[in-house]
Amino acid sequence: MPPENPFQDPLRFERRVPPCAVVIFGANGDLTKRKLLPALYRLAYDRRLAPGFAIVGTSRTPLTDDQFREKMKEAVAAFSEDTKLDEDLWKTFAEGLHYVAGDIGDAALYQRIGEKLAHLDQSHQTGGNVLFYLSTQPSQYALAAKGIGAAGLQHGSGWRRLVVEKPFGHDLASARELSDRLHEVFDESAIFRIDHYLGKETVQNILAFRFGNGIFEPLWNRRYINHIEITAAESIGVEGRGAYYQEAGALADMIQNHLLQVMATIAMEPCASFRATSVRDERSKLLRSMKPMTADEIRQNSVAGQYGAARIGGEDIPGFRQEPGVNPASTTDTYAAVTLCVENWRWAGVPFYVRTGKRLPKRVTEIAIHFNQAPLAIFDGELADGTPNLLIVRIQPEEGISLKFLSKRPGAGMKLRPVSMDFNYGSSFGERSPSAYETLLLDALLDDATLYTRQDMVEASWAVVEPIQNVWREESIDFPNYAAGTWGPDAADAMLARRGHTWRKP
Amino acid sequence: MAVAPPEKILKELADLWVTEGKQEAGVAAHGVLRACTMTLIAITEDREDPADLGETIAALMPEHPARTIVIRLTGAGERSIAQRVFAQCWMPFGQRRQICCEQVEITCSDASLGDVPSVVLPLEVPDLPVFLWCRSPRLLAMPEFPALAAMAHRVVVDSGALADAPAALRRLADEAAGGMVLGDLAWTRLTRWRQTLAQVFEDPRHAARLTGSARVTVCDLGAVTTRALYMGTWVAGALHAAGVTTTVHVRTRAQETSVELECGGFHARLERQDDHLASTADGLSQLTLLPKPTDYLLLREELGIVHRDPVFSSTLESAARFSFVTD
Repeated sequence: MPPENPFQDPLRFERRVPPCAVVIFGANGDLTKRKLLPALYRLAYDRRLAPGFAIVGTSRTPLTDDQFREKMKEAVAAFSEDTKLDEDLWKTFAEGLHYVAGDIGDAALYQRIGEKLAHLDQSHQTGGNVLFYLSTQPSQYALAAKGIGAAGLQHGSGWRRLVVEKPFGHDLASARELSDRLHEVFDESAIFRIDHYLGKETVQNILAFRFGNGIFEPLWNRRYINHIEITAAESIGVEGRGAYYQEAGALADMIQNHLLQVMATIAMEPCASFRATSVRDERSKLLRSMKPMTADEIRQNSVAGQYGAARIGGEDIPGFRQEPGVNPASTTDTYAAVTLCVENWRWAGVPFYVRTGKRLPKRVTEIAIHFNQAPLAIFDGELADGTPNLLIVRIQPEEGISLKFLSKRPGAGMKLRPVSMDFNYGSSFGERSPSAYETLLLDALLDDATLYTRQDMVEASWAVVEPIQNVWREESIDFPNYAAGTWGPDAADAMLARRGHTWRKP
Repeated sequence: MAVAPPEKILKELADLWVTEGKQEAGVAAHGVLRACTMTLIAITEDREDPADLGETIAALMPEHPARTIVIRLTGAGERSIAQRVFAQCWMPFGQRRQICCEQVEITCSDASLGDVPSVVLPLEVPDLPVFLWCRSPRLLAMPEFPALAAMAHRVVVDSGALADAPAALRRLADEAAGGMVLGDLAWTRLTRWRQTLAQVFEDPRHAARLTGSARVTVCDLGAVTTRALYMGTWVAGALHAAGVTTTVHVRTRAQETSVELECGGFHARLERQDDHLASTADGLSQLTLLPKPTDYLLLREELGIVHRDPVFSSTLESAARFSFVTD
């Protein structure tokens, strides 16, 4: 057993990364520049990284170490929203930046990476600890893992871990296939599947809200909750990602991963502890409790949409089919709404309405929990019997929690009106929130998989989503079926109306 | 001059919210958000620039929204005590709603200090922690101090402002032994130093070299400071727990602030270099940011700790009776 560090002070010291190196595949790509390097630099800025911390970037583009450092400096300066570039700190950080060029399918690349890691272990004292980060095209994940395995880099004198970005397959079979390929090289415990939604402060705050307080959990069930809406709306279109997006669609791009993970967080059973296995077991159980739908049920309980051209704020907005790189006859869903049911004692009969879309009126992600109405209306007036309590958990923007309830209007008589009691996360705590990538990278480096997706969760999600995809493919949907700047197709309203509900307009 | 009854002050606070709400409603429809996580009592000398303290409190409010009660000591003179009530509001960047925190200011002479608890206690926000930040070094020696400290769950002082560092530590250790839950900004100033040293031993190969006996040298500016004594004691205490016997040397230097640890051929050194902290251990060096520890940065950390800080408490207790080699 390694000797313990005698200088600990958990009350005041932040969690810090042990000596290690991070190998980034796709180091010349957008994700590395926009998210990974700014997040790693911020960890250095916050003194979270060990002396000698090293990064090895790799991609096909030939670059020297110095050229790579210069590119990464530009990226950090451009994409670190709230962290200034300190020249002295950058100099120390950049000493740990290295680059190895090569083709991801070429065995020689992995030999060179191995040599570089061995060198860094000596010069930077990384202790043989390595985190491999696959920031490449998803089609290259298995290839990269195979290369790492063939070169024996998955083993060393320290720990070895692998971080994989979504999508984890494009259906259940491909998700299993990818998993099998990764498991040939890495144990499941060493694979970190990143879903950046779970790294958001407010998604983590759902756990604090539910399990840190005693007053909400007794209400958190079918007896008191009528239905739940989960909305992830974007006001922008595909923003140059048309070619990628038309292969994925809203259902696979958002609901299969992000929103089902959010739903699992809001609906899971309390876990015995806040340890990775415990939390992930409960999330996984919830996902596996979702009722698989028949084709007929899918037709009643799901709606696909695609936006058409519109004029918004005096500007002509093209329809999805007119976006660059998109097939003019594309049948890709840019909007998806699904009614999901969870088959357990807590949630039986409570519909979960999940929707996401592009070119909706505003950018907002929130969970709306609609409680049952008071059992008896004893007050007169228009609102006395028709305004149930509503709890809103806002994930973005203006993260926070609001509770809507009825209050007496000032003055004579007993007239009621709804009021909102707000907790605004950002303004109640003015402290800067770490970005999702800072949180998740730090967790992976510290071997904390609580906020990462596990293979059984991926499979459970696909088991729900794939039948919907299949039915949609068979249907001939008349796209476009909603205008840009509106809240989606009429069919989505009709889907809720069948249960006597309506969508909130957040 | 007499202070208004607590009910009147509380009424003034309530009216403040109504006024702020109405003013804000005239400008935008998003209203005023009231947030409160604690009562912060700050005791300061009247001669101190109120703007300095005001800026520190304003900076703290976004992270630690509080009802703040500032007690300004006017010094010797007849019994006099007076108060005023106002709100501090700010609009967080990118947000639509104004956040406001309430502030009560009480001005009193030394002769009226004994009246302060009866005025302040009813003004504390129920069910939330109460912090007392004592900015006046002379108050620590005054007979009224225990009664003032008893108003709070936690008392934050700055032993760096006290003359005779060893005596100051003994005084604080006595208060802590008597049950006072203390924080000391001289200790808070060390957090980044301590964390950086701890980081060196996150590498188990380094931790494994902590055996036998060690020598710790702490260099600080000017005179022997409580900060240097804390640092030496903390390192020695941690090494003692690891079975290492330690000699601590505390040195005063004109320009250098550093900590050096030598143990069984292993050598680690931390040194301030302008706004950075340079660390070297076993030939590997690192530079991290070390901004000037302003009152805001120090209080921000201290207000995050509500209960007794076990590492600080044991270090204070040891530092008060530790023998150092000084030169």
